[in-house]
Amino acid sequence: MDELSVLPAPDEPDKALAAVVALRDLADRLERQAVASALRQGWSWARIAQALGVTKQAAHKRLSGTVAGDDHR
Amino acid sequence: MFGGIRKRLESMRTIRTLCQQAELHARREAKQEPGAEHFLLAALDLPDGTARVAFAQVGANAASFGDAIARQYDEALRHIGIEPPTVSRRGPRQDAGGAGGGLYHAAASGKQVMQALAASHKDHAPLLGAHVVAVVADMEHGVAARALEAMGVDRGALKRAAEDAARA
Repeated sequence: MDELSVLPAPDEPDKALAAVVALRDLADRLERQAVASALRQGWSWARIAQALGVTKQAAHKRLSGTVAGDDHR
Repeated sequence: MFGGIRKRLESMRTIRTLCQQAELHARREAKQEPGAEHFLLAALDLPDGTARVAFAQVGANAASFGDAIARQYDEALRHIGIEPPTVSRRGPRQDAGGAGGGLYHAAASGKQVMQALAASHKDHAPLLGAHVVAVVADMEHGVAARALEAMGVDRGALKRAAEDAARA
């Protein structure tokens, strides 16, 4: 990924806030892709949760329905 | 009297369809809860066709609204110097009503749409897709507003066109 070369100007809050929303969206997509890949490689939900720094219950609740390759481990 | 009851029942059926379709559109993007942009996509799916009429009135291609949602995310990232990487936006679950019959949950902007529709329900005879378009077009900020901007749509003109389509 490129470095942050252009930061939104403080007088453009609409652009800055739009960037925050887009970054969250991108992070969510990357997370789903990474979790799906981990599940395909046989990772357990406990291991995925530890890697994400959340509880197993939180990881499963938030991600189990939105990633492919869910084996509900 | 019976006409009023019939229209209220029609509105209730439309709200149910709208919520289910909005949820479906959210899940296609792997979002957990539908936002205003998903309610607008759902309104464009409604069989009354008035949402599409409103878009056509302002010279906008309703079918491209979904692409505009993705485009506004990409444009926002480019604004801070990030070239959007190729990561799928599609979620694996495409089924509607998967929440298991529990309470309906919408994202904040989705709740705003539902609240605005509820507040103006006396003007709906019955609820039409154009009413939803008018509500979403009135929202100044957020994904839906940015997607409309990415399409070059004037929100004020779209709101007026939607109100006209709802009255016609």
